[in-house]
Amino acid sequence: MGAAKLTKFLRMLLAAGMVCGVFGSVGRSIAKPLDIVFVNPGKTGEVYWDMVAQTMQAAGRKLDAHVEVLTSERNYRTMQELGFGVVARPDKPDFLILSNEESAAVPILEAAEAAGVKTLLLSNTLIGEDAVRLGPPRQKLKTWLGDITTDLQTAGARMANALITAARAGKWQSADGKIHILGIGGDETTPASIARNAGLKLAVDAASDVVVDRMLFANWTQSEAERVTANYLSWAARKQIRPAGIWAGNDPMALGALRAAIAAGLVPGENIQVVGLNWSEDALREIKADRLLLTDGGHFLLGGWSVVLLRDYADGCDFAAVSPRVEVKTSAITRDNLASVGDLIKTRAFDRIDFTRFRAKAGRCGQYDFSLDALISSLPVAEGVAD
Amino acid sequence: MRKDEAMTDPDRNEQAALPRLRSVVHAMIWATVPVLLLVQLLASAGVEASSFWSQLRQLDARMARVAESRAELIAEPLWKMRYDQVTGVLKEVMHDETIAAAAVYDDTGAAIARVVARPGGQSAAEVSHPIRYSNGNMAVQAGRIAIAYSRATLYADAGSRLMLLLVVGLLATFATLIAMRISANIFIGRPLAAMMSAIQRSKQDGRAYPADVTSSNEFGQLARAFNAMQHTTSGALDRLGHMATHDPLTGLPNRRALTERLAVTSQTGGAPDTLVAFCFIDLDDFKGINDTFGHEAGDAFLVQISQRLRRAVDAEDWVARLGGDEFVVIRPEVSDEQAAHAFAQRVLDAISEPIRLHDKQVVPRASIGLAVRHADDPELSHLPTLADIALYHAKSKAPGTVAVLDEALQRDYRRRRDIELAIPTGFAEGQFEVWYQSQVDLDSYEVVGLEALIRWRHPEHGVIGPGEFLPLIERSGNNARLTRYVLTDACRALQQLAAAGRPQIRIAINLPPSELADHSLAAELRATCARFGVAASMIELEITEGSLINNIASASETLHRLRRLGATIALDDFGTGYSSLAHLRRFPLDKVKIDKAFISEITDSAEDKAIVGVIASLAATLGLTLIAEGMERAEQAEAMREMGVRLGQGFLYQRPQPLEAVLQWLDRQPAVASRVVADSPSITPEFAA
Repeated sequence: MGAAKLTKFLRMLLAAGMVCGVFGSVGRSIAKPLDIVFVNPGKTGEVYWDMVAQTMQAAGRKLDAHVEVLTSERNYRTMQELGFGVVARPDKPDFLILSNEESAAVPILEAAEAAGVKTLLLSNTLIGEDAVRLGPPRQKLKTWLGDITTDLQTAGARMANALITAARAGKWQSADGKIHILGIGGDETTPASIARNAGLKLAVDAASDVVVDRMLFANWTQSEAERVTANYLSWAARKQIRPAGIWAGNDPMALGALRAAIAAGLVPGENIQVVGLNWSEDALREIKADRLLLTDGGHFLLGGWSVVLLRDYADGCDFAAVSPRVEVKTSAITRDNLASVGDLIKTRAFDRIDFTRFRAKAGRCGQYDFSLDALISSLPVAEGVAD
Repeated sequence: MRKDEAMTDPDRNEQAALPRLRSVVHAMIWATVPVLLLVQLLASAGVEASSFWSQLRQLDARMARVAESRAELIAEPLWKMRYDQVTGVLKEVMHDETIAAAAVYDDTGAAIARVVARPGGQSAAEVSHPIRYSNGNMAVQAGRIAIAYSRATLYADAGSRLMLLLVVGLLATFATLIAMRISANIFIGRPLAAMMSAIQRSKQDGRAYPADVTSSNEFGQLARAFNAMQHTTSGALDRLGHMATHDPLTGLPNRRALTERLAVTSQTGGAPDTLVAFCFIDLDDFKGINDTFGHEAGDAFLVQISQRLRRAVDAEDWVARLGGDEFVVIRPEVSDEQAAHAFAQRVLDAISEPIRLHDKQVVPRASIGLAVRHADDPELSHLPTLADIALYHAKSKAPGTVAVLDEALQRDYRRRRDIELAIPTGFAEGQFEVWYQSQVDLDSYEVVGLEALIRWRHPEHGVIGPGEFLPLIERSGNNARLTRYVLTDACRALQQLAAAGRPQIRIAINLPPSELADHSLAAELRATCARFGVAASMIELEITEGSLINNIASASETLHRLRRLGATIALDDFGTGYSSLAHLRRFPLDKVKIDKAFISEITDSAEDKAIVGVIASLAATLGLTLIAEGMERAEQAEAMREMGVRLGQGFLYQRPQPLEAVLQWLDRQPAVASRVVADSPSITPEFAA
């Protein structure tokens, strides 16, 4: 019921925003077109990074920015060469967007500083020694404008809480009176994985009736997740533990867990719940089939949001007015909101998103609302309803 | 034959008698090597066993470590349920060949991973280790790992090492054996063999050989001691050899040396025409010197004589003492027999220089028998015998002279030897005969007695007189036998005389000097007389002065016994020898026989008359009957009768004859009509004695 009220409220906001946006864009338009280069660390066909690039380009089209995507094909040396190449161009772009995967972007950052090319880190920012050495943005590296990342710890906690709520509701406690869940992480080293896992831990620590039997790691892949899940379920059976939920760090692993659970004779959605992250099409299908409880995510929109930030920055509304480090909350897609965004994701029709509506309001530079609701509001109503 | 062989090979005999020789080297090896082998094997086995147990413990420890390290590696994948990784890690342990199987169990006890090296492989041991997983937040036991491993390799290794040790031990023992064999031969066998060889050589020719051992160890010391002993033995043997061939008193070579010398001389020969002079020297009356001055003085006398002999001869001459008073001087080269005789005479002269004994001058007297032969004479080794023949002649015929061996002497010698060898046959075949010669009363011509005179009717030499064979009888030790023979015959004769009606006729028997020392003689006389039933008083025993001198006490004893039986004693040949008046008084004499030497010329010699007169008056004073021997003519009988001699004996009355002839002769005699006989002079000289 609450969700229905909220939807109505959002629609009103959306309508008002569209009006303002049209005026705003017209009013401030437009000093000059931007030239943005994105060095994509991922591989062609890698869903997340493809979607990041696609949202980035979609936003560019809306915000008068030319976005050039260079793909590293998961080769960090290639990524660095591409970065150095961009920095060394005689006709330098206005902004260079990098992702600090495996800390490979640091040399490019430094090179860009030397060349006077402004940079923005996306998804992965500086960590460890680099963070200590180079400090926060715009201090040692003047051209490093900031970073835009997602709050994955909150995402992890949200996923865990959804599992716990479902288990409590179904009274899926084991003989020891506890709710036993399995955690499947992608890895133990990357900040993206660590944050999600920490969220799980945070949520479970807060719930005294819940225990994570194992935190297993499946290398982000479905098959490995399926294997370790099968092992876990077999072990749990021997231990006479009733498995209540499986927390997976991404959707492929959640799908693997699903398969293993089904193979073990469980019925996901009925006597066990599985959660994932990434808003992947497969996950959305499983949600629709009522086998997957939710998939958190939406952080591929960082591509679009980064162009929003740079457009505002270029237009004199610096996001650093709040903080040079922009952290975007993710959102969960459940059966409840699946209809609103499912098609968008499935068709990757990111041009439907009106990115101009997400620009900071005058006098409120640095303040953005990148929530799912805001997103849903930005979509054309007819289509959302129709789906 | 067997005995001869044994005799001719004393070494073999000795070896056969001894237990089989066991080498000390072999004994050492047999005593040491088995012990060595046993100790080596036991030590090897002990070392191997300890090594085996240590390896076993090491294996167990290693397996425990493997399990521990695998547990650490497996902990995370196990906890994180990466069972494929668990299996992968577990598979890695299978590179260890001793591991037969390994398994990982989770905390529920379910086997998560299991690997088996060889299906059906035997595993003797198992190690299990808990798998603990921990991270910053937690520490749990995730499961356990179990590893089954085989000790078979260890057993096989131990077995093969044991075999190797055994082989090495055997080889070492074999090497030790060879080393011991060689070193023992060098250090023990060789010196022993050297000493044994020295002993064998010493045994072979009686000289003491040193052992050729130069080492400085105990055997070297032993060999040096042995050599010192050999040296001592050598000296002793030399001295013994010297003693064997030399006279200890004078230091001169002895009889044995003479034999060797002659053997050497006959072997080496020399020029065939050279002459060897051999002087056999015999001191006259050395016994008298011993008796008079004592044996020490006698020895000193002999030493002086030997010194004189040494001085008297040249360097190439050779002097020896054969024993007692016999010496030999050999001159290896003389030009002829005259030179040899002159040499012998010179030697005799040297001996005859006076010697002082106990402050008294003694003139040594000696006789020399000289034999000269060519150096290549095959009879050279008989030189002592030949010279002895000459010496015998010298001593018997001319004492104190040199007698040279000639053909006649050798003939005499051979005859003498033949006779001497025939004595036993003579007794056995009864070749000895007793003849009797009458003793007549010079006044009445009555036959008062007969003297028994021995004759030898030899089948080849005819009748031999006592002068020739009696010395031989004496030398061959047959005096007593002959005396008893004569005594028996005399008793038988007395029996026959009595039977013939002449029981008053007594018979005189000559006693040789040796018989006076025979205490059984008196008993023998009595027994024989008793056997024939004749009175002992019918027997008269004739003795010589010489026989009294040699053993005065014993002779006196025997004479007194004989007289107690009733026999009378006559002193024969008085006047020729010592003619001791003391003897006449000291011994129990009844009669004195005046030697025929005083009788033959009595009619013409005033001296003889005087001597006989003195003897007669002495005899009368002492109450002794006198009888004159060798009466051949009536004038002699008349002269004797005038001087108071009562009895006479000789060819004038009767020649010695066998008893039958005597009995016949007596039958022809008128009781007192002897003048007829006395008047018929005899022209035949006395046959003998």
